[in-house]
Parts: sequence; structure tokens; C-alpha cells
Amino acid sequence: MSFTTLLKFNFRYYKRHSLLALLCLMGISLGVGIVIAVELINVSALASFSSSIDFLSGKASHSVVSNYGRIDEEDFRSIWTDKSVAAASPVIDVMGTTVETGSDSIRFLGIDPFLDSSFRAWTPQGADDKSLLIFLSNPVPAVYLSEGLAKKHKLKTGDQLTVLKAGIEKKIKLIGMIDPSVSGSLTENIGVMDIAAAQELFGRTGRLDRIDLVINGDPEDLRNSLPQGLVLTDANSRKATLNSILYSFQLNLAAMSLLALFVGVFLIYNFSMFSVLSRREDMSLLLTIGSDRRSLIGAFIAESTLLGAAGSFIGVIFGYLVAYFSINMVSSTISQLYYQVNVGSVGLTFPIVLSGVAVGFVATLVGVILPSFEVAVTPPVIGIKRQSIEDRASSLKGWLLVLGAVFFILSAFCAWASRFSIFWGFTSAFGMTLAFALFTPYSLSIFTHHLGTFLKKTFNSLTGFLAARNVKASLSRTSIAVAALAVALSMTIGVDTMIYSFRTSVADWLDGSLQGDIYISPETTKWDHPLPEDLMEKFGSDPRVDWLEKYSTFDIYIDGRLAKLRVLESEILSGKARFNFIQGSQESWKELVKGAAFISESLGFRFGIKLGDTMKLPTPKGLIEFPVVAITRDYSSDQGTVQIDRNIYRKLWGDDRVQSIALFLRPGVSTEEVKSDIIAEFKGLERTVVSNTQMRDTVLGIFDKTFAPTATLKGVSLLVGLLGVATAMMAILMERSSDIKVLGYLGLNSGQLGRMNIYQGLIMGLFAFLIASLCGMALTYIIVHAINFRSFGWSIDIKLNPWVFFETLSLTMAACFASSLYPTFRLMRIKSAPALKEE
Amino acid sequence: MTELIRLENVSKCYSSGPNCDVFPLFSVNLELDQGSRMILLGKSGSGKSTFLNIVGGVDTPTSGRVFFNGTELTALSQADLANYRRKEVGFIFQSFNLFPTLTVGENVMLPLELVGTPNKEKAIELLDAVGLPDAWQKFPELLSGGEQQRVAIARALVKTPKLILADEPTGNLDQDTGNTILKLIDNVCSLNNATLIMVTHSQDALWIAPRHYRLRSGRLELETVIN
Repeated sequence: MSFTTLLKFNFRYYKRHSLLALLCLMGISLGVGIVIAVELINVSALASFSSSIDFLSGKASHSVVSNYGRIDEEDFRSIWTDKSVAAASPVIDVMGTTVETGSDSIRFLGIDPFLDSSFRAWTPQGADDKSLLIFLSNPVPAVYLSEGLAKKHKLKTGDQLTVLKAGIEKKIKLIGMIDPSVSGSLTENIGVMDIAAAQELFGRTGRLDRIDLVINGDPEDLRNSLPQGLVLTDANSRKATLNSILYSFQLNLAAMSLLALFVGVFLIYNFSMFSVLSRREDMSLLLTIGSDRRSLIGAFIAESTLLGAAGSFIGVIFGYLVAYFSINMVSSTISQLYYQVNVGSVGLTFPIVLSGVAVGFVATLVGVILPSFEVAVTPPVIGIKRQSIEDRASSLKGWLLVLGAVFFILSAFCAWASRFSIFWGFTSAFGMTLAFALFTPYSLSIFTHHLGTFLKKTFNSLTGFLAARNVKASLSRTSIAVAALAVALSMTIGVDTMIYSFRTSVADWLDGSLQGDIYISPETTKWDHPLPEDLMEKFGSDPRVDWLEKYSTFDIYIDGRLAKLRVLESEILSGKARFNFIQGSQESWKELVKGAAFISESLGFRFGIKLGDTMKLPTPKGLIEFPVVAITRDYSSDQGTVQIDRNIYRKLWGDDRVQSIALFLRPGVSTEEVKSDIIAEFKGLERTVVSNTQMRDTVLGIFDKTFAPTATLKGVSLLVGLLGVATAMMAILMERSSDIKVLGYLGLNSGQLGRMNIYQGLIMGLFAFLIASLCGMALTYIIVHAINFRSFGWSIDIKLNPWVFFETLSLTMAACFASSLYPTFRLMRIKSAPALKEE
Repeated sequence: MTELIRLENVSKCYSSGPNCDVFPLFSVNLELDQGSRMILLGKSGSGKSTFLNIVGGVDTPTSGRVFFNGTELTALSQADLANYRRKEVGFIFQSFNLFPTLTVGENVMLPLELVGTPNKEKAIELLDAVGLPDAWQKFPELLSGGEQQRVAIARALVKTPKLILADEPTGNLDQDTGNTILKLIDNVCSLNNATLIMVTHSQDALWIAPRHYRLRSGRLELETVIN
């Protein structure tokens, strides 16, 4: 029988079973879509900030930045006049928001228009003297704004904008737009101001954020002559630094996507295999009537290639749409946690398409080839019997259990090995998921057997009994569908339990840290906007206030790597706060006052610093040694935090800027009354003055937002798994229709048959949930100890949340019920009348 | 003798359009008493199985009426027909149609479970009667074709049905095993005074019933009566 005849035969099958063909295509498309979406999000986020750096650098070959977060304005002259420097431009680079543009944050660049013209063309070229005068000396600071942003918020030249500087309202005037031909493909919102106005507006008087340079000599000459704490970088090394900051985040996103991909591949395999197995008897018949094995397998490979192509094509579109609609959520998370990124669009590239399509093809091919090969080598006389595949599945289940045990042990070993490389942590997660997937056939067989007996004996439920036994009877189908669903659910349970444990740990940490009655902690804290001096003076001397705790965090570079320097008021916090000391104790505060440092466990992990070690911090006075006297639990930054006393900071850095404060009120003083006074005096702070509880809720709100994208992933995984259940049920329906008819002959009415079918779906869902609960808990352990700790360096106390399990079970049962409705509808229409006979 | 089955002008037509294309049954009339037996002969596709399905309440005629013990089956709802099959009819199939995941015991018990009277002793007794006293815990796949058909017979008779419908019960068996099965059916029908309608192609099976009918072009014709 020719290859084309066989191929035609195969496609006739899909024509007759159009719903199954649709499910197959959906399965492949979802699998491919997951890969494409995550890859697109990762690449777009990276490309966005990479192009931002390139674009904002303009013609600069290098930049001077500070290891301790600021450059003294006085240092500019010596750098500018260095013989190797052809051009130099001082830059204030600060993120901010305005009332008018709402949540669209703006990168404010303060430049000297004369010096900066060698680098960029932000201000209108050839502007007349009047425009330049306004730009430089308008009583209300003048700004040029990205045209796109202005259009979006219907802003026009001459409008006044209200900048929220440390939460306090400051006016600026829009004097023109930055031409799109200048800002090009840059997706970030830019506001360009005169450098002096920007320094004044954002509390950076006397300091610079960066000096951009064009160097025509040997950069090493300049590097060697730079003042203490300043370093020469280029765009590539800045990109590398920012890349390294995102490494852990992206690693985790990739890990989540790989787990989702695992589910996707499982599903594709499930569908492909099902499409072959359901034709097993036909194939054996074809072999019987003379077709050869090679043509048979060839026809299936051709079929899977076409199916893979169609599924991949749809998958690419689906993945693109998922990425398109979720990119804002991810870029907002990155902006919240790391640094500002504005991903304007997602660009589908050939390598991304190729990776997605490859996944679709490989999984489809494996799914088709393995079973078709199995059928091709099975003697037709055996293959022609439907039961033979179940016999084979039944005899294989013991071996699969053993194989699962091997993977379980290997996974445990990999979890241990994760201390050497995070790669082993991910391998462990995959191994564990695979182990539980392999446990499924054996345990499902045992479970359904006993469940059937239990349902009959305890509830006298014959339909429940038959449903359980039907699931067992079609083990070759049901175990794969249940395993795919269990893998999807275990991922959901594992990640949700990790998030819950993480959230509980963060809440405990916040409870210990946030002991003040009122907090003034503007959203701009992360952008280093200092609070006005008069605010602290006023409330520091207010008789109602017992203590005013000042709080600042700055970026510093330790050995070229970014970390956070937190400045604490030991005097207050030692008595008021409850730090979670992993090493060290309450006594350590005394050492902090003397010039020691606390470090967060993530910093200790990243830099390999232990209690008792000494670390060198960059200060304007050079590298200063700080003995490490405590390691604290701190979730504020995965870059790691060094905590020192404010008096020490003031002495060494010559700086006393404060980004947020906490007020500890005297007993009996009304929190609301003090809050009202603050708001009345400092316009704009009504957005940021919060109580202890509100502050805690705000931080936890950010936490929840950070993990919000996992919901999409969960949804897709669940959908993927449930499609598997629906297919398996259709399979049972198709293959066991004779059994169903016999039940009709024996007197089961259509209602009972329908109930039986729905119970089948629910039993599959229930068992998938049970397997997933165990696997999910194991995954949580791996994620927390072997992945999260190795990625971020912070420990999390694992806490089980009954709600996670209840929610997963409810969703699964509801979805399995829904998945079984159509097959049930079909089943109830089956008439027993077409005789059960073989004439 | 009490009348058990009566068919009045029963016709069945299969059509792809408004008009009947095929008439497997055309104006069939028949009366069968309790405990009586009949053989139904006919070519493939002549309507034998349709006849069994209509009498068994699995299918409904296009026209005409069917009575069982005075009750008009053609007037019953689907639920009532299911109840009728559950209580009154025992089906025996050519390909046994046992449930592979149920043990022999569970297969035999199934009709009793459906009626709501799970009587294990009776099922054991019947398995004993069909010559399979030790098969209770076994799965059907471990039995020979003949043994599987015995289990199927036990399943059909365990609820003591008034009517047994057998569709080529020996069609998949060798001659010797077929004869054994026929004797078994003969015995249990006699024991329970059950009415038997059996479709067969086998000349060796004709002895089991005195009246042989043949379906020809939809018409039911009495072919032979053996005294």
C-alpha cells in the first residue's frame, strides 16, 4: 500500500474526528505558545533597557560613575580638562512621576545644553536665544518631554506639570517636545531639563549622577587619575552590570517557563500519542492487508510534520499575543524591583520562532513516532485487539514506577548538588516532576481499583464504581492525561506554596522592621529623592513625636557589583525594631554604632561574606573597612544590603540625605491628627503619609503585584492539563463505546451513563490533585532551598496554606467537570441499538 | 400458558431522507408465551438484531406496538425502558462483552447491583451452575472464549429474567464449546422458565427451540415447528 494512500487514510481520520483534530492542534499550539511567549518577554525586556542605554549614551564613548552613588560637582572640572577627554557632559539622571502623567514614570535628564550638544540632540537644534533662555532660567523649571508621552496625556507646550519630588508637589513647565526623530525607537519617557534646575528640583544640588565623555586618548590614563570612588565605564559594561542584576529574575522566569514548557510538551505528546493509539486497530488491519511497516511509520511522521507545522504556526501567533498582553506586567515588575524598563513592543525574531517551532515539532514527532513504532512492530493479530495496548500499559506500569523511583532519587541528589550550581536546582525540579509523572500509571491503577470498591461499598454507588474501573480500564490514555494534569497542578501548588511561604516570611520581616506609628515613604524612595530638611526639622522637634527615624538607601558598588547601602539610626532601631538576626544578636547594635556593619543574608551569599569578616565599602574617603557583626533576614533587595549607622555614614560620606522617615509618637497622641498636620503643611504628601499597617500593606501589595504574572502561567498550565483530560475522556468514549453500549443493554439509563462519565472526569481530576499535592510540596522544597536561595540568597520558611490546596482542588474539579460535559453529552447520545454483534 | 411477548404490526425503517430506504422489519406480528423458545434465522442484514433490540427495549419500532407481560413497551419512556431491561431481560452476545476491568464475580454481580439487590450467594451459585466455581476473582482476559461466554450467560441469568435474548451466542466458539454453551442455555432457561429468543446461523443450534422463524425482506415467517 503506497505512502500517499496511507497518508490519505490518516487524514481521513482527522476529517471524521474534527473535534479531536482541533484538540490536537490546540495542544500543540499551547505548548509552542508558552515557549514563544516567555522567550519574547525575556528578550524584549532585555532589548528594551539595552537600547535605552545605547540611546541615552548618545555619542559618549565612556561615562564616569560613582561607586558610592554620587559624583561631587567639583570633580567635573578636573575630568573635563583631562588631556584624554575630547568632550564631557555632566548629567543628572533621575526617575520621577508627575500628577498629570500618572503611573507613566519619566526619566528626567538634567543636562548642560552647551556641553551636551556634542553628545545628544535632546533640545531643539538651532533653537533661538529666547527658547534657550527659557530652558535655562525660567522661574518655573522648564522641560522638554517625549512627544509620545505628551500626546498620550494630551499635554501641550506651555502646560504646567506637577512633579512629585519625594512625594511633595513641585511645578515644572512644558516648553516643547522631543522630536520622535531624535528619540527614535526609545520607548522610555524622557524629560530633559537644565542641569541646575534638575539638581534643585530633585535635591541633588552639588552632585552629579554621571559624566558622559568622548575620549580620544588612552582611557587608562583617565581611569588612573579619577578621584577616589569614581570609575570609568562604557555602555557595554553598564549593560553587563544591569544584565547581572536581572540574572536571577530572568533565571526564575525561565525556570517557570521551562516547567510550563514541560507541561506543554507533555500535552503535545499526549495528543499526538492519542491520535496514533486511537488508530491502533486500524493500523494493525492495514498491516494485515499488506501495507509495510516503513510506509506506515512514514505516513505518521508526515502526518505529525503537517500537524506540528499547523500547531506551531498557531502557537507562534498565540505566544506573540500572550507576550504582547503580559509584557507590561513583567516590565512593571522589573521596574518595581530593579530599574526602570519600558517595553514598548515585542519583536518576533527568527530564532524565537525557530525555538518554539522546534519544540512543537520535536514533541509531536516523539509523541507520534513512539506509539506508531510500537504498533508497527506489534504483530497485527495482537495489535488488532484494543485490549492489547491496555495489557501492555498495565505490564509497563510497574517498570515506570521503578523508573520514577530512580528519578526521585536522582532529583534528591540534584537538589543537594544545587550548592555547586543552580543548574542542578532546576534539574532537580524537572527530575521530581518527571518522577511523579512516572508514578502516575501504577498509583492510578491501584487508586481507581480501591476507590471503585470503596464507592460501591460505602455509598452504594454503582456508577462511581464503574467510573473508577473505566479509568483503570483505559490506563494507557487516562494515566497520561492524569500525569499531564498532575504536572500542571503540581507546578501551581509548588509555586503558590512558595509564594505563600515567601509572603509569610516577608510579612514577618516587615512586622519586625516596621514599628513606627507613621511613615513618610514616597514611592520615589527607590529613585533616591531626598525629603526636605524642613519636614524633618519640624516633626523632629514636635512634642507629640517621641522619635523620628530617618531612613536612606543608596546604590553602591562592591567589587564592581551593585549592592544597597542602608543607613540606619541605631539609637532608635536597637530599642524599637525587631530585626530577624540569622547570625548576631541584639547586642550587635552596639557594634554598629562603633562602625561595624550588618549585612543581609543575600549579600553574604552573593559576596561570600560571613559573620566576623571585614568588608570594604567605597566612600568619598576611599575604601573603608567595616567588620560584619550580624547577618539579618532582609527581603528589600536581592542585590544584598549593607546596613551601617547614620552617624558613621554622615562622617564618611559627608551626606545626610533622607529618603523616608518613621515617626514614633508619644503615648496618647492621635496618629490621624499628626498625619493631617503633615498633609496640611506639605502638599502632595497625602499620597504617601501612611500608618504602620498601611505601610505594611503597601509593601505586601508590591509583593503581590510582583508575583501576579504567575497567575497567567498557572492559567495556561491548567488549561493545558485540562485539555488533556478532555481528550482522554473523548478517547475513553471512542474506544469503550462497546462497553458503554453493553451497560445500556444491562439497563443503565442515559442519566446513569452520563453520571458515570462525569465521575470519570472527577476521579481523574481528584487523583491528579493528589499526585500534584505531593509533587507540589516536593517542588516547593526544591524551589525554596535549591533554586530561590541559590538565585537570590534569601531563606524562606516553608508554610503550607490549606487555601492553596482547596483552591486548586476546587478549580480542578470544576474544570474536570466542565471538560467532561461534552464527552458526556456525546455519550448520552450513544444508542445501544446498533447491535453488539459481529456478523 | 401466559403470554409474555406480543408484537403487533411492528415495522422498522431506516431512512436517510423523508422516505424509508430499508425496512428490516415490516408489519411483524408475534406472540410468545412465558417459557417458550424461538430461533430467529435470516441473512446478514435481514433485521434479526433489530428485532432483538426492539423486543429488548433497546430500540423502538417506527410503527406498531410491542407488549411485554401486558405492558406496552412502545409507550414507555427511555428511563422505563432502561428499568425494563434491567429487571426483565437478559442479553447474551456473540462477543461476550464482559468488562475487562471487572473480575468475573463483579461482572456477574453487575446486573444485581443495577437492580439494587446485590446477592453474592446467588452470583456464586450461578457461576457454579455454569461450571466456573473458582473463577470469581479472575479477570475475563484469563478465561477462554467458552468460559467467557459462560460468564456472560451467568451475567444474563443472575437476575432471573423472564426473557433471554441471545444474539449468536456460539458464533465465536468452536463446535464442542458451542454445544456445551447451548446445553447450558437450555438448562438455565428450563430452570427459570425463561422465554428464549435466539438468533443463530448455526444448524447445530436449532434443537434448542421448537419454533424457527426466518426474517425475509422484513417479514417474519414461521419456517419450522419441531414437536
